[in-house]
Amino acid sequence: MTDNGSANKPLPANGRYAIEARDLSVYYGDFRAVKDVNLHIEPRKITAIIGPSGCGKSTMLRAFNRMNELVPTAWAEGEVLFRGQNIYSPNVDAVQVRRHVGMVFQKPNPFPKSIYENVAWGARINGYKDSMDELVERSLRQAALWDEVKDKLDQSGYSLSGGQQQRLCIARTIAVRPQIILMDEPASALDPIATLKIEDLMRDLAENYTIIVVTHNMQQAARVSDQTAFFMMDEDRAGYLVEYGPTNEIFTNPHDQRTEDYITGRFG
Amino acid sequence: MAQSRDSVFYTEEGFEHNLPRRHRAAKGWQIALLASMVVAILALIALLLNIIDGAFGYVAVQNTVNPGDLVLGIQEEEMLAVANTQSSEDDDALARGVAGDPHAIGFFGYAYYQEHADDLRTLAVDGVIPSAGTVDSGEYGLSRPLFLYSTAQLMREKPEVASFLNYYLDKVNGEIDDVGYFPLGDLVLNASMLTWMNATGTDTEDAETVSWPVLSPQGLDGEVIAAGSSTVYPLSVRMAQRFEEAGYAGEITNESIGSTAGFRRFCVDGTADIANASRPITRQEIQLCDRIGRDPVEFRVGTDALAVVVSQENTFLSEVTTEQLQAIFTTAETWSDVDPNWPDEPIQRFIPGADSGTLDFFVEAVFTQDLAELPKETLVSILQGHVSEGLFRRFESEVPFAERSQEDVYQLVVERVVEPKIEDTWPFFASVLRRSEVLAEAAEKYPEAEIRFVSWIDPGFIRSPQSTDPEKAGVRTAILGSLWTILITVLFAFPLGVGAAIYLEEYAVDNRLNRLIQTNINNLAGVPSIIYGMLGLAVFVRALESLTSGKLFGVVDPTTANGRTILSAGLTLGLLILPLIIINAQEALKAVPNSLRQAGMGLGATKWQTIWHHVLPNAMPGVLTGTILAVSRAIGETAPLVVVGASTFITVDPTNPFSKFTTLPIQIYQWTSRPQDEFRNIAAAAILVLLFLLLTLNASAVLLRNRFSKRRYS
Repeated sequence: MTDNGSANKPLPANGRYAIEARDLSVYYGDFRAVKDVNLHIEPRKITAIIGPSGCGKSTMLRAFNRMNELVPTAWAEGEVLFRGQNIYSPNVDAVQVRRHVGMVFQKPNPFPKSIYENVAWGARINGYKDSMDELVERSLRQAALWDEVKDKLDQSGYSLSGGQQQRLCIARTIAVRPQIILMDEPASALDPIATLKIEDLMRDLAENYTIIVVTHNMQQAARVSDQTAFFMMDEDRAGYLVEYGPTNEIFTNPHDQRTEDYITGRFG
Repeated sequence: MAQSRDSVFYTEEGFEHNLPRRHRAAKGWQIALLASMVVAILALIALLLNIIDGAFGYVAVQNTVNPGDLVLGIQEEEMLAVANTQSSEDDDALARGVAGDPHAIGFFGYAYYQEHADDLRTLAVDGVIPSAGTVDSGEYGLSRPLFLYSTAQLMREKPEVASFLNYYLDKVNGEIDDVGYFPLGDLVLNASMLTWMNATGTDTEDAETVSWPVLSPQGLDGEVIAAGSSTVYPLSVRMAQRFEEAGYAGEITNESIGSTAGFRRFCVDGTADIANASRPITRQEIQLCDRIGRDPVEFRVGTDALAVVVSQENTFLSEVTTEQLQAIFTTAETWSDVDPNWPDEPIQRFIPGADSGTLDFFVEAVFTQDLAELPKETLVSILQGHVSEGLFRRFESEVPFAERSQEDVYQLVVERVVEPKIEDTWPFFASVLRRSEVLAEAAEKYPEAEIRFVSWIDPGFIRSPQSTDPEKAGVRTAILGSLWTILITVLFAFPLGVGAAIYLEEYAVDNRLNRLIQTNINNLAGVPSIIYGMLGLAVFVRALESLTSGKLFGVVDPTTANGRTILSAGLTLGLLILPLIIINAQEALKAVPNSLRQAGMGLGATKWQTIWHHVLPNAMPGVLTGTILAVSRAIGETAPLVVVGASTFITVDPTNPFSKFTTLPIQIYQWTSRPQDEFRNIAAAAILVLLFLLLTLNASAVLLRNRFSKRRYS
């Protein structure tokens, strides 16, 4: 177990990938939800994970910061390399991993606290020492929320609209300065305008962060992502990676028939 | 119910809408639900009304000793002790004494003044000269009624007594002027006659049609003994004389010994047939009479006025005020002390003796002092004169009288000497709804008593410790016991229960063992509380005695030789509500959305940080609601505490967790099982206190909870 103090030390560099899954299988008890995935994520790019319902997209996403472990029966096989370090190796602390690989959830889930406190809490428990006000402002600006909330930082996070709440969750995530942000269908609970704002924000964030996004919305994947990974499930309902490549290529010229069938809407 | 297809809402094939029946059923259920709520509310209201019925209402309070008598006694002693004061039961002696000295003053019945009108001069009091007019109108302050007392039984057994009284009432107004008193008005005399007819049984249902029987003394024999007031004496002697002249063959003896002594002869010795009195009989005297089987009946026979007299030779006095009279007969030594215009000569005082009703009357009329206003020294001497020596010494050793305030001593006198006793009580609703009936009943049953509307719950009730006397008993010990016990209970059960709930909800994996534990906890919540009492007795009182008695911590409470302490009780109640707290806290934790846990963990928080900062605060309102319910139950528990060994009678406040204790419910339980009615009243009052305590604790818990809830949204 490593303590929070080592969070600031750089982990060993890992060539050109932000994070990389190698022969990764994720199980819930006896059930294999994801099998033998090899996936390398480009840094400072948006990678979309698409696929039909139940193909293990979310499980795959959560495998990148060991969030699956919140389910008591979940366990993983294989490796996920983050800057050269296998995050599943016994000497790696899951808490540490999650501070570097942040996560935004499907439904906006701000803490039932003030807007300020929502942003500040993660940094504070991670031992942030500098000016909290600056950090909050910077994070909210990066999340394109500052102008809307700067006058009501002491109000409840719940007082915001759904889209604002989701951006608050993003601000909260980037306040702990992760390198990778995992987004699990971040716009699926939002209206089209809020969705557009989130997508714009994702593009802006991609300049500084590596983003992996799970989405059901093919247009969204096409609009925002640089890379796309297409998942399907086999007859045992285990998800597997079908095809992975630049988004343009996947959507215009897929190599795999199943990918083409899916993105053209023949199934799924 | 099929309708034709032309209808807008026609019925499809295969459907039978049956709307009226469905609506009826819906209405029926609605009414049933409403009824359940109404029954619940009615039960609650009935409970409250029942408590209120006992906690307020009329009481008849009777003083064991009349505070006026105490003042009277003190004042008389004071008067008799003043220098240059001569007292005698013989009014003639007084009259002679005053007549012989120009600087003398005295007072006695108006009759004696008339006999000695040549030598004496009567003074106007507060500007009013005694005369038939001023006495009758009540203008003259020093006037008083004259009475005869006998009993119905005596009048039946001794017809000569009945006959003498008959004659007395018949002829008194013809003789009284001559004796020197003032005749009665017709109304009052008629009332006396009615009393006579009642007592002899010669009245009928319709009193108006019956006429006053004039009995002839002819042929009657025997001795009639009358004793008492020296004021009534000359009148009675005159009437006896006339009676004998009218043909009575026996003898009528009159003794002039004073009203009080006369009542003693009448009520204690039982040797007098008639008590002459210049004041009404007191309640104690009625009780004394009752002990020898006498039930006194009262005949008003006239009005007397006191004459304040000086010698004819006196040159400076013609009228006095009440204040001057007070000074003249007590503090002043010379006349000039009272009024500088008067001569600088010592005052010579001639007053009737202490046994005389005349002195009582003078003191009552002139000194209107209240017991509460007496100086401390006087109150102390009253106390000393009325309580046992041992008790007096105990008061002295508790706080020396020199250090006590007048107020404090007055309270002691009221408590120990006057000793107001509640003779009877009436419940609240009878007191309010049938007020006049209750008051009439009270007045009839307890004519001497003060009828008061009381709240059994008052500051004194809260402040006083337990007592065997329901009027002095309070709930302080019990309230403190309850608070201490609940404090221990909460300190023990809340952290433990919430901790267990957090473990079960957040950490425990779903396996056979944990499911077994969970089932067990659910079952424990349903175990009868007495079982917990037995567990507490075995574990906390017996096995852990050295811990719960405080021996381990070096606490040695001389009153506690074992583990029957607040600590044991608190721990036992803690065990009792532990399952309730765990279950409620678990439910509250379950209600916290998982997304919150994920949000926390997703930011790189540890599990505990997430629980502490997010899960627990959000579950807190629910946890507190559950705790409130559980603690409310603990406050009201009786059975386990009885088993653990709560004291049923304790007057010492608990001071630490190792004290002996009692709690409010135990106190209430104990009081309701007492035979005296008053204990039921104070039990009701104690229930109100308990309800108030519950309400306060709950309200503060709700406030605390709302603080958490507010934090949740702002």
